[in-house]
Amino acid sequence: MVQIQNVYKFFGQLKALDNVTLDIYDSEKMVIIGPSGSGKSTLLRSINKLETIDAGQIIVDGFDISNPKTDINKVREEIGMVFQSFNVFPHKTVIDNINLAQTVVRKRSKKEAVEISRELLNKVGILEKANEYPGKLSGGQQQRVAIARALAMKPKLMLFDEPTSALDPEMIGEVLEVMINLAKEGMTMIVVTHEMGFAREVSDRVLFMDYGAVVEEGTPEHFFKNPTQERTKLFMSQIL
Amino acid sequence: MAEVGKTETIEKKKPVIAVGDGPAIPSKEDVGLFTAWRVSMTGALAIIAYLAISKPDPYLAILKFVPDGILVTFQVTIEAILLALLIGLFTGLGRISKNKIINGIASVYVEVIRGIPLLVQLFYIYFALGRVVNLPAMVSAVIAMSVCYGAYMGEIFRAGIESIPQGQMEAARSLGMSYPQAMIHVILPQAFKTILPPVGNEFVALLKDSSLVSILAVSDLLRRGREFAAQSFTYFETYTMVALVYLVITLFLSKLVSIMEERISVD
Repeated sequence: MVQIQNVYKFFGQLKALDNVTLDIYDSEKMVIIGPSGSGKSTLLRSINKLETIDAGQIIVDGFDISNPKTDINKVREEIGMVFQSFNVFPHKTVIDNINLAQTVVRKRSKKEAVEISRELLNKVGILEKANEYPGKLSGGQQQRVAIARALAMKPKLMLFDEPTSALDPEMIGEVLEVMINLAKEGMTMIVVTHEMGFAREVSDRVLFMDYGAVVEEGTPEHFFKNPTQERTKLFMSQIL
Repeated sequence: MAEVGKTETIEKKKPVIAVGDGPAIPSKEDVGLFTAWRVSMTGALAIIAYLAISKPDPYLAILKFVPDGILVTFQVTIEAILLALLIGLFTGLGRISKNKIINGIASVYVEVIRGIPLLVQLFYIYFALGRVVNLPAMVSAVIAMSVCYGAYMGEIFRAGIESIPQGQMEAARSLGMSYPQAMIHVILPQAFKTILPPVGNEFVALLKDSSLVSILAVSDLLRRGREFAAQSFTYFETYTMVALVYLVITLFLSKLVSIMEERISVD
């Protein structure tokens, strides 16, 4: 699904991504962990070109997005993204949040879009909030709207950028539940998170990044039981 | 529980763009200004009524003579503001553009226009350019006013667009929307709220500045006053009346803007 090859990214002097090479398979669930500033969000955001890489190649669903000639909007239609700060559209009702890109980008009729939106709202458990404005919703509910909004595009791949980090503890569960269900349906997912419970339950592979480079990768069990690198051990002991 | 997790992104107060021009727009919290508005408004109306009744000649005659001019003043103001909004939108978009040429053009336009007095711009378009293309006075007036105010509007649009969190654009683009689609459906509707109060302020300022067009043979409120005074030699009386009429109009419009602003902030 995603091939990342020898990718570099600089923010001024800072090496945000340092020779990252990575393959993500169809319907794989990958969790990326690492301290803040380790480049994990930058890597995720490079996959739908919210960040432009400085060297290397990223191929998503057969499209070379590092090539400037590739129509990035077409590729992004197939990649859903969920942000730490939700980024729901505050001037639109919940259901219009989900309808918008369906009608504008996918060119679905309003009727068809509403049908899909309602189905997804039901799936994430907030159908009764369809006509509310996001400002009236809790953080957990807003994040579920954001997930539904991304899913409405029927993406082939979902990116999650610390989806629960801005949430109060009691709301993390409701968002993780939606994500776990999605994983069980076979969605390809790349998730930047500190929720090791989520990693343990659904992920096929965990990636530990530090200073822009992949330090260690393996199954969740590997990370819990016997990580090999010193930096990984230290990090695991801090977050568990 | 639903109330607990409201996020900072949504809760954050929209930044206010303060443009100091025209009479301050009275809001209910600003008690001093609010009463000042009432005193000025009732005072102006009372004086107009008192003068018109106690000394119909010339005051009532003046009042009957100037309404044509008020209509022209409004016509110039409304046409110029609509054109200025359009120019301002594109200038604002140009100013945030990453394209160096577009950004350069927009920035130079803003710098040049802001550096030349409006009266000089009016003369320039009407008299200097009059040698090349002969535009009617009214058209010159509207073009000059809108080109001038478009530069200020551009800065308002720019600030309004920049006040919307980056994440909104990212979310829209990540859904596959193009830059224009994201602007039209996501950014501009939100920026509108921030933009409206300063735009209202500019509208009031533009109405006052429109008195400058009286120099170009456009029969606005001020020019009608001048015509009346020239015939009757009642300069003091006429300009007193003209000033009071301008004051009533701008106070009324400021109030309208503040009501509109309150309505919007309720949603």
